[in-house]
Amino acid sequence: MEKKTVTRAGMNRRTFLKVSGAAGLGVASATFGVPSLLRAAPKTIKIGSIQPVTGPLAVIGQGSRLGNQLAIDYINANGGINSMGGAKLELVLGDSESKPEVGRQEADRLINEGAVVLVGPFQSGVAMAIATLAEQRQVPFVMDVAALDAITQKGYEHVFRVFITAGGLVAGALKYYKTVTEAAGVHPKRAVVTNTADPFGKGMSGGFLKMLKGSGLPVEVVERIQYPLGIQDLSAEVARIKAAKPDIIFPISRIGDSVILLRELYKQRVDLMGIFGPGSPGWYEPEFVKDMDKLAFYSMTNVPWINPESPSYQRGNAAFLKASGKNLDTNSAYAYTGALVIADALERAGSTKTKDILKSLRETNYADHPVVGGAIKFNDKGDNTGALTALVQIQPDPDLLKRVRIVLPKDFAQSENIIFPAPQLWER
Amino acid sequence: MGMDSTLAVQLLIQGVLLGGVYGLIAIGLSLIFGVMGIINFAHGQMMVMGMYISYWIFVLLGIDPYISLVAVAAAIFILGWLIQYTVVNRILDYPEAMQVLPLVSIGLILENAALMLWGPDHRSPQTALGLDSMWVGPIMVDTSRLIAFVLAIIITFLIFIFLKKSNLGKCIRAASDNRTGAVLVGIDVDRIYNMSFAIGAATTGAAGCLLVPLLPISPHIGHDFTLTAFIVVILGGMGNLLGALVGGVILGVAE
Repeated sequence: MEKKTVTRAGMNRRTFLKVSGAAGLGVASATFGVPSLLRAAPKTIKIGSIQPVTGPLAVIGQGSRLGNQLAIDYINANGGINSMGGAKLELVLGDSESKPEVGRQEADRLINEGAVVLVGPFQSGVAMAIATLAEQRQVPFVMDVAALDAITQKGYEHVFRVFITAGGLVAGALKYYKTVTEAAGVHPKRAVVTNTADPFGKGMSGGFLKMLKGSGLPVEVVERIQYPLGIQDLSAEVARIKAAKPDIIFPISRIGDSVILLRELYKQRVDLMGIFGPGSPGWYEPEFVKDMDKLAFYSMTNVPWINPESPSYQRGNAAFLKASGKNLDTNSAYAYTGALVIADALERAGSTKTKDILKSLRETNYADHPVVGGAIKFNDKGDNTGALTALVQIQPDPDLLKRVRIVLPKDFAQSENIIFPAPQLWER
Repeated sequence: MGMDSTLAVQLLIQGVLLGGVYGLIAIGLSLIFGVMGIINFAHGQMMVMGMYISYWIFVLLGIDPYISLVAVAAAIFILGWLIQYTVVNRILDYPEAMQVLPLVSIGLILENAALMLWGPDHRSPQTALGLDSMWVGPIMVDTSRLIAFVLAIIITFLIFIFLKKSNLGKCIRAASDNRTGAVLVGIDVDRIYNMSFAIGAATTGAAGCLLVPLLPISPHIGHDFTLTAFIVVILGGMGNLLGALVGGVILGVAE
């Protein structure tokens, strides 16, 4: 406990330094700079990117920032914004540190520095804080990743979302579950839902349980098991799962607990038709696929996903790989998409005035993106009507990278074959 | 046996077995506290270092964590010695609040070093016995846990014997009992302190090896284990080694 307090104090000092630095910059720009909004034909157009680049989500945040940046680089390398005389885009950088209040301060600072549009911020809580600010300051805000439905339910005019909503995610899970079980002609009767007891896990499983109940699918949830985030031992939980005699498990997990869960299911010999993730990490990451090997096979997860076949993905991935040594994943691909959507809107707007950008964003119809989904169009709430999830299944292949395959929707599928029911974990 | 009693026995066994490892982690913390009155806030992070070294040896050389345990304990022993020699010996006479900061900092440095060296991914190599289990009727006994438990008990026992019987162990107990008295009878207390911290570190490193087949390694799990060790030590009594083992088992079952 004592340790936690000390760590937090350290963070506060860092925050203080950031804020005081930001204040200094603000003063400097007020003294020496001319707000770029007032310039007639800007040579560079500033886009503010707020991502959690330090703190607990630093790695994801850095990938997201890089995704934003590479999209901007791509546009600049191809002549910038033609409708504004080839104006170049400049990404101005903010760090939310995973904290809503810091994200808001950073967004405010970026607007003061001349950002005409904002993109970010990976987390719903931070997105909510920035959305409120964007509405007040009248600066368009395109959320690349943030799923909480409520953010767009407030009737904000300046807020748009490329990512799928939490509601859309759960609806996708039920749709695909229905498709899979009907195609197989096998209908699991007893199910266990597991989730991490953090806001994400609770919210996601709560929404899933509610929609599953109303769906009329012939499956009954006989046990719901919650455990703390970062748990190191799931033997007791799995003993309870085994006692519940489920046909299928719907896990809502994070990276780490999925490994422990899977191993315990094996050790305790829990009979299952399969594992179907309604929408959470933990079941498709490269390290998971490598370490779990055969145990990872046949598990399915409904998840916003990359579209590896798209030209946009291949372009983005090549640049991402070069810059970071990693492949463009869902989060960074959505970050890439968010910045591309902004560039597309600026191109059609031909102006950096908020009113013109908003009009242009509302008319978005953008299909050349790297993720599974239709053309990006925004409804009156600002949500992307083309957003879709994919169902991915881990399938046997000597090449680790080819094991994670899109099986639904059909238009994007990398494998025609959905394996369900799956062989038992210990019989592989 | 009915369903419920089967479940209860199952949970009890799993808890006791894991509790042995908790005990081993805590013994290091307890030893360091008992001898120097210092709480090692970097304890969990030192354990994570042990896990990574063991992981490395497994991936690069194919040597199972149970075998690499000795090498890992030696490596963390050296790490512990260096920490004591460079930092902790200088802060022994400081007020307690000021002893906390350097050790928390060491924890942060170790955690971020792991982040730099191995990245943030959760790693969970498939060891030879990683998925083995034994069945006694309807009760499952996890082989990795059983081995971890047995080794933890053996190591604890060895440390106990070492402290009771060996010359060095007696010196450690003397220094723990009365620092001034120990200096007066000619014990090189600084060296004894180095040795105690290093042994405490080595035990947590060894415990890390025992956990490699059981849970995924990531740089950030250290905190939780520092806390676990702390709870165990409080349960078993500060500075009481056997108490730490009992405390570990209690916590393992309670969880």
